Amino acid sequence: MNPIGSINVLQGSPLQRTDAPLPKIGLPQATPNISAPSEGFGTMLDGLVGTVESKQAAAQAATRRVLLGDSDQLHQSVIAMQEASVAFTMMVEVRNKLVESYQELMRMQV
Amino acid sequence: MNLISGIDVTAGALNAHKTRLDVVAQNIANAQTTRGPNGTAYQRQIVSFESELLRRSVGGGLPLQSVRVAAISTDRTPGQQVHNPQHPDAGPDGTVTMPNVNLSYEMVDLITASRAYEANLSVVKNAREMALKSLQIGK
Repeated sequence: MNPIGSINVLQGSPLQRTDAPLPKIGLPQATPNISAPSEGFGTMLDGLVGTVESKQAAAQAATRRVLLGDSDQLHQSVIAMQEASVAFTMMVEVRNKLVESYQELMRMQV
Repeated sequence: MNLISGIDVTAGALNAHKTRLDVVAQNIANAQTTRGPNGTAYQRQIVSFESELLRRSVGGGLPLQSVRVAAISTDRTPGQQVHNPQHPDAGPDGTVTMPNVNLSYEMVDLITASRAYEANLSVVKNAREMALKSLQIGK
């Protein structure tokens, strides 16, 4: 029996894709190659959105299973929804930070 | 990796305690059942837990131990013999074997399981609040 089935679904490949690069952009990559073009950032952001979307899809699937009577794992669906909510909040925070730095750049005097 | 840390451990515990609540409900419901599927009186069911090592594929972190239901076993204590010759399940000597369910024990089990479930829900709530608070860093 796998009591966390619907959550383990989230630990598949799309998570590895985004969660692996996430720590790298913070500390190690900043110092050695500042001049390198950041062509991977767009794909990383794409992956982040994909992760949030997959979390929301998993939460929706778990909730639908509960509502249709296929499962009695009420807590699983609520936990999945909370996970999706936290992931979405984090995505919004990242977007806010990006927009903020962009506007900071646009305000620069030339 | 989960953004809310330790949530899968708690999810397993919630599942286990929910099973325990279900079994207590079954015991209470069958407290007067003198004829089960095998023709004898109902026998009380007991849930036992075992720890389960969760593998951490990505994101690192400690390999945490969750909990799952190991077995639902039967309490073999003999049930009470009640003299009731009118009962359809009475033996030749007029006694009926009642289920070995003690309602006091079941109520205590019910309270324990319910409180354990609540405790795990508090863990979920706190873990979520911690994750949301860490998103507030620097504001």
